[in-house]
Amino acid sequence: MTREEVYERLTGVFRDVFDDESIEITDGTTADDIEDWDSFEHINLVVAVEEEFSFKIPMGKVVTMKNVGEMVDIILDMGK
Amino acid sequence: MSITSFGFLLMICAGVSLYYILPKSWQWVELLVLSLIFYCMSAAPYTFVYILISTAAAYISTRFARGKGAETDRGRKLAACLGVGAVLINVGLWFVFKGKGLWMPFFGEAAVMPYLAALGMGYYTLQVIGYILDCYWGSIEPQKNPLKLLLFVCFFPQMITGPISRYSQLEALYEKHPLSYENITFGAQRILWGFFKKLVLAERVGAVVNAIWEMQTQEAVFLWIALLLYPIQMYADFSGCMDIVIGAAECFGIKLPENFNNPFFARSIQEFWQRWHITLGTWAKDYVLYPLLKSERMVRLGSSAKKKFGKRYGKFISTALGMLVLWLVMGIWHGGVKYILGVSLWYWALLMLGDLCAPGLKKVTRLLKVHEDSFSWRLLQSIRTYLIYAVGAVFFRAETVGGALAFFKNMLVMTVNGNLHLENLFNKSLLQLGLNISDWIVILISVLLLVTAAVLREKDGYARAWVARQILPFRWFVWLGFLVAVVICGKYGEQYNAVNFIYQIF
Repeated sequence: MTREEVYERLTGVFRDVFDDESIEITDGTTADDIEDWDSFEHINLVVAVEEEFSFKIPMGKVVTMKNVGEMVDIILDMGK
Repeated sequence: MSITSFGFLLMICAGVSLYYILPKSWQWVELLVLSLIFYCMSAAPYTFVYILISTAAAYISTRFARGKGAETDRGRKLAACLGVGAVLINVGLWFVFKGKGLWMPFFGEAAVMPYLAALGMGYYTLQVIGYILDCYWGSIEPQKNPLKLLLFVCFFPQMITGPISRYSQLEALYEKHPLSYENITFGAQRILWGFFKKLVLAERVGAVVNAIWEMQTQEAVFLWIALLLYPIQMYADFSGCMDIVIGAAECFGIKLPENFNNPFFARSIQEFWQRWHITLGTWAKDYVLYPLLKSERMVRLGSSAKKKFGKRYGKFISTALGMLVLWLVMGIWHGGVKYILGVSLWYWALLMLGDLCAPGLKKVTRLLKVHEDSFSWRLLQSIRTYLIYAVGAVFFRAETVGGALAFFKNMLVMTVNGNLHLENLFNKSLLQLGLNISDWIVILISVLLLVTAAVLREKDGYARAWVARQILPFRWFVWLGFLVAVVICGKYGEQYNAVNFIYQIF
């Protein structure tokens, strides 16, 4: 899976979770950039990502990821 | 030893002086020795055994789990058992000694607990559980030195009331700290600010609130005053305590996590809990809510709820369940049935109601063309949040659930029956609540100073950073002013005996 492919699928997950078809994400996107991305939606997002990519993100990474770029790194790492 | 005592200040001064004289590799040892001295002077020394058991359980389980012994299937199973066992030991010790408010009522008058709880048991127990889980989740490497781990558990400034730190936030305990003028001055200023909040404001407001709770009034206005003043007392008391704790740690070069961020500026109750007792909320989110919502069972439940009730309400059901567990844990942690009602269920119900009504309210505000960023709208939202918090806080102040409900009943019945008696605000009745006119003026000025500091913090980060950028005479004027205010207006010394911090009981 390439980084671009991950981004394509991840954008769909973001748009679905936050109910906003206009969302565009980059490596630097953080919770501050998306209005509804609070601590509760964060875990909904993680669960949705796990369902989309069919693997479990370790708990240790759930609370430490700082931005979308780190999330993509984790997905690529887990997909190896 | 109270952290508002002269002895504590003396201990900080002597400790800091020695800290920067000692070889830097010995600094953490001094912190451990100071923590042990502080513990023995503040609590029954035998209760330190519980801390040793908690630390030993965490040390053994995490070292095994991340060692070579856990690389086989059998080893992994044993590691999992050890981890669960270590968490259960910690929860069990807390439940028996600190959570006795939860089990003693079931045994009636026959229930006796002859042994005391450890100092800060509610706080360090959460820290230890967090440490164990972080090690098992691979977020951190287990500490190899058991004495260093013990220091993480019993670091003295935060023993009494937290903040509840993660291990990764306290690794500075073991680092070498060169003498820093900034750390010592900022630390001392923070301690002074905490003394001001506690001794000048919280003690005075507390005197009024106590007087009203103890009198048999037939005039509702006094109960309304108690209702509205108690959050100020709680805030000045708890955040003042945090200022002293964080300032004391800062003098040693240790930055503890913040526990408050202008909670009364919050525009919703959800935001309030992101600004009040932050480290407890973060702990419950990271170690209870997230693992729960990530579990297979909850994911399956969420999926089937979405299929049955649609995306919005399906999501709401899993949110409501997860939040209920989180709030129950927070209520149980406070250690009594009244907290489960006043903390857990009250705020949970309001949060869920807010979530359900949010789209409707948004439509109404659009229809009424309300500018959501206008000062008046923000103020209205903050007042609403304050009132919601004030209602829940009554359960903290009352001895029992019945006492809290009786308070509300009296207040509302008297108000409805025309016994509000607002004229008491303007005659000399307020001066019969244990404070004279100058005390009320001190309260007013202190609240204005707190609001000023809060506004500066909201706009500029730390208020003290703003002060630090001012010219020298102004800086001296501010800090000497606070020092004089604490010395002259502070409720301390033999004749006053400042009461313990409210959150010290947890």
